[in-house]
Amino acid sequence: MELSAEQTQRYSRHLVMKELGVSGQEKLRKAKVLIIGAGGLGSPAALYLAAAGIGSIGIADGDRVELSNLQRQILHSTADIGRPKVDSARESLERLNPDVQVKTHPGPVNAGNIMELIAAYDFILECTDNFPAKFLINDACVLSQKPFCHGSVIRFFGQVMTYVPGQGPCYRCVFKSPPPQNAVPAAKQAGVIGAAAGMIGCLQALEAIKYITGAGDLLTGQLLTFDALDMDFQKISLQPDPDCPVCGPKPAILKPFDCEQPL
Amino acid sequence: MMIEVRLFATLRDARGKVLMLEPDTVSTAGDILSALDIPQEAVAILLINGFHSRVEDSVKNGDIVALFPPVGGG
Repeated sequence: MELSAEQTQRYSRHLVMKELGVSGQEKLRKAKVLIIGAGGLGSPAALYLAAAGIGSIGIADGDRVELSNLQRQILHSTADIGRPKVDSARESLERLNPDVQVKTHPGPVNAGNIMELIAAYDFILECTDNFPAKFLINDACVLSQKPFCHGSVIRFFGQVMTYVPGQGPCYRCVFKSPPPQNAVPAAKQAGVIGAAAGMIGCLQALEAIKYITGAGDLLTGQLLTFDALDMDFQKISLQPDPDCPVCGPKPAILKPFDCEQPL
Repeated sequence: MMIEVRLFATLRDARGKVLMLEPDTVSTAGDILSALDIPQEAVAILLINGFHSRVEDSVKNGDIVALFPPVGGG
């Protein structure tokens, strides 16, 4: 499909780049990206992906907008308090770019629905706020052979890594299993600065765009950490775990399962 | 020479960013965690001189040990 005159203007800053161009824009238009979690990470990620002209964006989140979300969750506004996050997310994205098809997935994501949820998408952004969800999404993506980008943030600190089947470790290779509850502070207790979540969400959006267009190198086999207090980025090389129970040669996890905390 | 311990994210609470430990006070990475009162489950990634390591791995004068906590917020 040819770009319309309006689209040629809208995406003109993409079209002039050798890494994207018309063919890259066409790849973005055909792409289907699922964002699980429409919070501090998912908000900036979804906005940039919609702005970039991703053809189909799925938003999965079971929560409603709360006043305490608005300091960082820039998809939602004050008037949205009490509404399902997927609804305000859809409105924000459609207002930004009517080219984008937004599909909403309200309700909790769990072991019973995640395989079907991710099946229709080319790339998944893991933008959740708890460890059980992060492991659930990892396991489902590994079992479905779907690429995904993990992001996490707390206070002024965040991290990103990307999993592509057959190209390096999965999240479980590196982090093994959810830490015991109360072993690490949750964002609710510890706090999180909105712009730091924004940094990580933007990095996740970039990974999706790079995967789809083939531009550059992904954070496969690497954990990128960001500390906003020092303005310090670190890249840690990661190896697959040959004994990984989900992506290793002798897997013990053959279907996704829920840990104790709900998503 | 000393052992340099670099802490990240929430592990810096009440400890600081970079700590120097006398090599004769610690012989393994686990000793460093004990010395700094860091529970093992509060460390997701442990690097000695940039290589992934375990708590039982030994540390020596001049080593740089980096500790990253699990980060689960979104």
